[in-house]
Amino acid sequence: MAQARYAKLERRIREAIEDRGKRDSLWACMKRGRDNRIDALARLEGGVAFRDDVRRVKERCIARQDELLDRFTRNAEKRGAKVFFAKDAAAAIQYVLDVARARGAKTISKSKSLTTEEIELNHPLEEAGFRVVETDLGELIIQLVGEKPYHLVFPSVHKTRKDVAEIFAKETGETVPGDIEAIMKVVRRYLRPIFLNTDIGLTGANAGIAETGGIVIETNEGNARLVSSIGACHICVMGMEKIVETVEDALLMVLAHPVSATGQCPTTYVTWMHGRSPLGEGGAPRESHIIILDNGRTAMRDDPVMREALHCIRCGACMNICPTYGVVGGHTFGYIYPGPIGIPWTAAAHGLERAGDFAPLCISCGLCREICPADIDIPMMIAEVKHRDAATRGQPSVNRFMMAAERYAGLASATAPLSNWCLSNGLFRYMLEKLAGVDRRRRLPPFQRDTFRKQFRRRPSTALESKRSVAFFVDVYANYNAPELGLAAVEALERAGCAVVVPAQQSAGYPYIAYGDLERARAVARYNVSRLAPLACDGYDIVSPEPTAVYALKKSYPKLLDNDEDARRVADATHELFDFLNQIEKHPPETALQGRKFGFHCACHQRPLGSGAAAMEWLRRRGAEVVLVETGTCCGMGGTFGLKDGALGYDLSMAVGAPLFDAFRASGVDTIVTESSVCKMQLEEGTGLPVRHPLELLHAGD
Amino acid sequence: MSLVAQFKARFEALRGCAYVVATETEAAAVAHSIIREAGADCAAVANVSHEFQVVLRRLCCESGVKLLGPPFLSESLPGAIAGAGAGVTGCAFGIAETGTLVEVTTDDAVRLVSALPRTYIGVVRASEMVPRLMDAAPRLRNIFEGHDKNVVVSFISGPSRTGDIEMILTLGVHGPEAAFAIVIND
Repeated sequence: MAQARYAKLERRIREAIEDRGKRDSLWACMKRGRDNRIDALARLEGGVAFRDDVRRVKERCIARQDELLDRFTRNAEKRGAKVFFAKDAAAAIQYVLDVARARGAKTISKSKSLTTEEIELNHPLEEAGFRVVETDLGELIIQLVGEKPYHLVFPSVHKTRKDVAEIFAKETGETVPGDIEAIMKVVRRYLRPIFLNTDIGLTGANAGIAETGGIVIETNEGNARLVSSIGACHICVMGMEKIVETVEDALLMVLAHPVSATGQCPTTYVTWMHGRSPLGEGGAPRESHIIILDNGRTAMRDDPVMREALHCIRCGACMNICPTYGVVGGHTFGYIYPGPIGIPWTAAAHGLERAGDFAPLCISCGLCREICPADIDIPMMIAEVKHRDAATRGQPSVNRFMMAAERYAGLASATAPLSNWCLSNGLFRYMLEKLAGVDRRRRLPPFQRDTFRKQFRRRPSTALESKRSVAFFVDVYANYNAPELGLAAVEALERAGCAVVVPAQQSAGYPYIAYGDLERARAVARYNVSRLAPLACDGYDIVSPEPTAVYALKKSYPKLLDNDEDARRVADATHELFDFLNQIEKHPPETALQGRKFGFHCACHQRPLGSGAAAMEWLRRRGAEVVLVETGTCCGMGGTFGLKDGALGYDLSMAVGAPLFDAFRASGVDTIVTESSVCKMQLEEGTGLPVRHPLELLHAGD
Repeated sequence: MSLVAQFKARFEALRGCAYVVATETEAAAVAHSIIREAGADCAAVANVSHEFQVVLRRLCCESGVKLLGPPFLSESLPGAIAGAGAGVTGCAFGIAETGTLVEVTTDDAVRLVSALPRTYIGVVRASEMVPRLMDAAPRLRNIFEGHDKNVVVSFISGPSRTGDIEMILTLGVHGPEAAFAIVIND
């Protein structure tokens, strides 16, 4: 059964939710990561523009990977390094074992390398009798307790100073005080003899430079400098996707990586190693080995959807912003590679099933893509992983129910008010929870029998002299639950001089992407594009009041439909309602909302659409005071995710939203404004405050 | 803001400390007083100008500080440098925007001078300051092309730091807990 598969995941989610202390500290850490990044971007000339540069460089270097690999190898070998191409983990491990044995090594010191974590190198080395010591503090901490990294950049972020003090007290037999400064002194004393007596230094690399045959290693602690200089033998293990063409490319990575990871630019130390230098005068020659690891990367490159994962520069920013990662952490949200990008990477390096085991934690908010320095479409890759996984292992029935939400909304609407009575009836909700997996605690909006589409058809044509033609995309909520909202949007468009049509359409179908039924997602996309593209060709603008619908039309459909011309045409013609209104309104009324103050919530899917700026501007033009209340991540609803029963639904959803609920309550506003119908449900429930769509403020008089 | 001022501001924002001096002699005197203040009875120096090294050696001699300098004998390493309380290296250039010193060497002993002691002092000429990170590219390429075998370039932007405990910034976990830059305004 698909459900039974997630029993362990659900248990771990529950444990994470209940451990309030750990949740708070993880939240604080992730928030610090986000805030530091924003501060650094403010200092960086061009701000986030570097993302386009990174994307271009990675695209070029991955496209020419074979050639660059050859060039790197030739140039590194000219400098005296031995280059070994390892097709998988076993080959890389064997090579390291062979080198270590041939040198008669005893101690191998390592600086942080996720690639060696990927191939789980330490264990076989230890089995073979070598002493392997991680020297990056975070990696050392998790090595001493036998855990996997919790976060790409901060592997031990889940350990408090008290935990760390206890770990080192146990390891050293000393009394270790619980303050960080004192812990550092113990760590320094503990590691110093290991550094000084190391036989082999093992590092990763942040980049390999094809034109020079050198490697680039970034650290803040400086441990890689010691590891790579003292041991007579240096081994670097590097994923093949790390090879870039030029010095400029490498410098761009040196900039992009820490800005996104910790808000630094660059890391404290950046080591550009070329060949192997002697240590002082008169010593024996020293060795350098560079292991270039494939381990699924060639297959990724040849997979049109997963290829983009090779653009990852391992900054961990997607972890800092991921709403569910921020509650459950990287041991639950990950196998070895944690977090959002960990899902495609796990699928490639450790198998689809392992990725599928934690992929349901992705609620498809899309924020990981917005923060990614290489603009990787992580959400669509995760959807693909879910899709492939479901093809062999099935889809939980609750997901199948959620994907059919529009059909059920239609049914509930057709049977209203009976359906509304049922939805407020405890026994019915109990049955709905047991049979369909809809959490009975979730308050659902009532359904209207007289839908927007029906009412629109009955309306007398009001088009006077119209300047613009608009195709209105209504989606689920404004059709079945809030037809008055859909009509208010149409009236606003007409007042601004538009002739509005409501073409044949299906709801945007985002749940299919969220749960990974990409065939159905494609079918919906194809249908909507086929209906909307001719209108777009005729000069119609496509407007929707629902952020997720706009996101689907603009961002998801072109991807689903391989960027075909019609999909691109629809994407280009599609606008957020308020962005469109602001553009065409000539003389907006100035006073309708004078004296009112609202807290605005930006839906995640609005982030790439302008972060709600248009709706806030629209409200301000009417005299309202608007404050943006945000935590930098999601409200937790995740479309239909928060409707689902239990740990992989309502409970996790509310835990994710808690800091935002607190922020709204602390903001002093008495009304929350959001354009998203699902965020509205979540915020009403989480804050107890009224939540309104901007258009409702003019009509409801509240 | 001048490049030197920009460098100093950024290096200090990264918890380093930067001095701007007029001559090599003055630079050596500042380095000596930093070594003294760090309480080091042994210091290591590498990659600096002859003039700087002569002055520093004389000052260290007078104050009883043992000064290690090249040639570093392989058999004494890494122990000898690990015993130094301060390390001084000359840097090929600096990057103003990022507060970065750029050390270039073909001997890993020099890397130890800047990596092992608790106090690090980097010396750079103001005329060798580039404005922005990306401006380092042509200089780096020249260095790599100029050495067909081994060469290591190290960017150093402040003291050794970690955020691995509760993401709280802490200095000096492995390498220098204090980093000084001396800019010679030539």
